[in-house]
Amino acid sequence: MTTTVDAEQAWQDLQRIRVPQERVYDEIERTAQDDTRASYTTAALMWMFLAVSGLDLPGWAFWLTLTAYVAVLGTLAVVYNRRTRIRLHRSRHSWRSFATFFAGMVVTLVAILLSGRLVEWLALPFGSLIQATVSAAAFLLFVGPANRWAVSTLRDRAGRATHEKGVR
Amino acid sequence: MSTPSGFDELIHPSTRLSVVALLAATEWADFPFIRDSLSLSDSALSKQLHTLEEAGYLEIRKEGGGRKRRTKVRLTSRGRTAFEGHVAALRAIVEGAGPAAAAGQAPEAADATAATTQQRQHHAKAGR
Repeated sequence: MTTTVDAEQAWQDLQRIRVPQERVYDEIERTAQDDTRASYTTAALMWMFLAVSGLDLPGWAFWLTLTAYVAVLGTLAVVYNRRTRIRLHRSRHSWRSFATFFAGMVVTLVAILLSGRLVEWLALPFGSLIQATVSAAAFLLFVGPANRWAVSTLRDRAGRATHEKGVR
Repeated sequence: MSTPSGFDELIHPSTRLSVVALLAATEWADFPFIRDSLSLSDSALSKQLHTLEEAGYLEIRKEGGGRKRRTKVRLTSRGRTAFEGHVAALRAIVEGAGPAAAAGQAPEAADATAATTQQRQHHAKAGR
């Protein structure tokens, strides 16, 4: 059987393709807006790890804390991954997604190192608590807006790519 | 009118086209997400997915057990290639009809068409 399609029907089919793809971007944007709980949990874990690791622990206790921290972070990642309903195709990601990921690591690391130096320099009491609080706050202040910034252009980018292909 | 190469008869029906279009934007999608996004019933979606799976266009993977059982659907590289070919064929048909057909519709008109199409899909459910 051969189907014949006129231009109007083909145009309608091209528009029909857009609708489910919009639902995908709706879900991605909704997830980026609603992941505050995951951010707070990650920040709380970071705070605990930094506060505990600043207690002049013996070597084995530090490594035990680090192992527990990494294990809990891994478990958290698995739990949130199971809750995810979709994963955006790799071709649809923009450079912003990767930039946000690396910038998040850099910002957190710089906050940890700088707050540690500052606490040492000023010889503040409860140094590890201050360092943990500053680092967790820097992480929280960065991650929410950065995630929203990363996903904000995905829909437009997909629309532009479709349009450019159509023009060609 | 003859159809250009790349036009895929299997993807052409509206429900299957919507399913494949949604999956093309994802690495994988959950069965309930596809069902809710396209306003289909479980059985209608299941039927379309199995047709596409038999053609090797997608993979259906079941994870977990009991109440936590999840069904993930992923477009295969064959399915992705077929979808891209089909979209290219549709564009060729529109462009072949002259600029009036392609450019004659303003973006607002295009959005309206998309909305109408969505409404139609809601009513038609898994008509095909």
